[in-house]
Amino acid sequence: MSILSIDDVRGGYTEVDILNGVSFNMEPGEIFTIAGTNGAGKSTLAKAIVGLLPRVSGRIAFEGEDLVPLAAEDRVQRGIGYVPQVANVFPSLSIKENLQVVAGVAKQKARIEELFATFPTLGQRAQTRAGSLSGGERQQLAFARALMPRPRLLILDEPTAALSPAKVADAFALIASLATLGVSLLMVEQRARQALAISHRGCILDGGQVALLGRAGDLLADERAAELYLGQASPNERFGQESAVL
Amino acid sequence: MSYLVLVQNGIAQGLIIGLAALSITLVFGIARFPNAAAGDMLTFGGYAGLFAFSATHSLLATGLAAIAATALLSLLMYYAVFRRLAGRSAVSLLVASIGVAFMIRAVLGVSFGHGQLVYEIELTRPYIVGGVRVSPLDLKLALIAFVTLAAAFGVLYMTSIGRQMRAVADNSDLARVSGIRPQRVMASLWLLAGALTAIAGVMLGMKTIVAPEIGWEILLPAFAAAIFGGIGSPIGAVAAGLILGVAQELSTPLVGFTYKIAVSFAVMCAVLVFRPRGLFGKAEAVR
Repeated sequence: MSILSIDDVRGGYTEVDILNGVSFNMEPGEIFTIAGTNGAGKSTLAKAIVGLLPRVSGRIAFEGEDLVPLAAEDRVQRGIGYVPQVANVFPSLSIKENLQVVAGVAKQKARIEELFATFPTLGQRAQTRAGSLSGGERQQLAFARALMPRPRLLILDEPTAALSPAKVADAFALIASLATLGVSLLMVEQRARQALAISHRGCILDGGQVALLGRAGDLLADERAAELYLGQASPNERFGQESAVL
Repeated sequence: MSYLVLVQNGIAQGLIIGLAALSITLVFGIARFPNAAAGDMLTFGGYAGLFAFSATHSLLATGLAAIAATALLSLLMYYAVFRRLAGRSAVSLLVASIGVAFMIRAVLGVSFGHGQLVYEIELTRPYIVGGVRVSPLDLKLALIAFVTLAAAFGVLYMTSIGRQMRAVADNSDLARVSGIRPQRVMASLWLLAGALTAIAGVMLGMKTIVAPEIGWEILLPAFAAAIFGGIGSPIGAVAAGLILGVAQELSTPLVGFTYKIAVSFAVMCAVLVFRPRGLFGKAEAVR
């Protein structure tokens, strides 16, 4: 069974549809990238899946269960984690409080210790206010917060958007390592080539619809995708330096 | 020496303003609107306490009864009005809260009349501390205020529901995708807001009189304190309440009793012009 099935999903923030019939499936254990130009509907789709889009029609099934009637907080309990593009931590809460505040976590203390072991920097600064963290530390905390309830599907909205170029490779390395923990990853990303390089499959959205869908390698090799959506590969990418991320 | 007496009175007044301001700033930070009904919730607490005090003559029973009654009223307001308007603009909610305020005042006026009622408190000999007379009642009221504030901050900073409230205040969408149930948080918020105004109402009633308009008159200083402290900042609200209370009392020899409230106006205007984020507020990006 697919872990996530998106079937003819339409919707938006007002009466105007931003998503115009998006459909694809995602298999357990996959890293799946959603790429596309600005305004294609990538982040809107992520919000539709986690329950933050005000108006949605169609079917969004997680492990066979239709999510559309469920509130965002119920979707978390079903096993879906979400890291928003911006404002992805609670700035006035400490690092530890950012993790404690996540609801419905069994054996909370042990889980926090597990995550502090995964992200040692966070453990060392547990009492620091999240609002004072650097971009990279904040990103780690955002991942840790989303991982608190042990999600089976983690949705990442532009995980490298707020990072300095020097930190981007680290972020992709972290994302690739999360997949080894048994979490399926759905990633919305502007840096499509680097994202697809660590993904199993992906799709390209255009005008709120799936323009291309397939294996990540095939999308990277597709001339039309390269020309219209992915841009030219950087010298680093051509010479495969990003493979170190894997 | 007379200034020390004014400071003493200012602290008592400041605690009342601070409690009301804390209620206002919590509602603003979490429910995202300025609750103009806070003053009349305070009045309701004053009346609830008055009847409890008449029956028991116990400060503890009075405080607890006022908290129970006002917290219940506050929760009722949430379910009957504010929950139904969730998602509307802050202005819509503000106007609704003004309507709720008038309704509470009208019900109190119709039920108990518009005359002044007083807590029948036995006169006690004051302590003399450094040449200043300190009323035992004032000390007890200050103690009650500090215990209430400590309990409120304990809830906010040491409990799971308090963390959830602060998380919702930071980012309500992120709170939802962290599994936090907004309605549970809102219900807790309104209970806490009601409890804080209840104690402020009892204190104000015991220090002065009980009448349907007492809360309305304290509303402006409370809003001024919430803004001065940094809207959404609990510690700021209490600190600013104390500063305003003392400033108002110290201005009395200069401007007279009637116009001391103008100090709150002046402070609110000055803060809005020169430091809009207040003493402890956070700068917010606007785009």
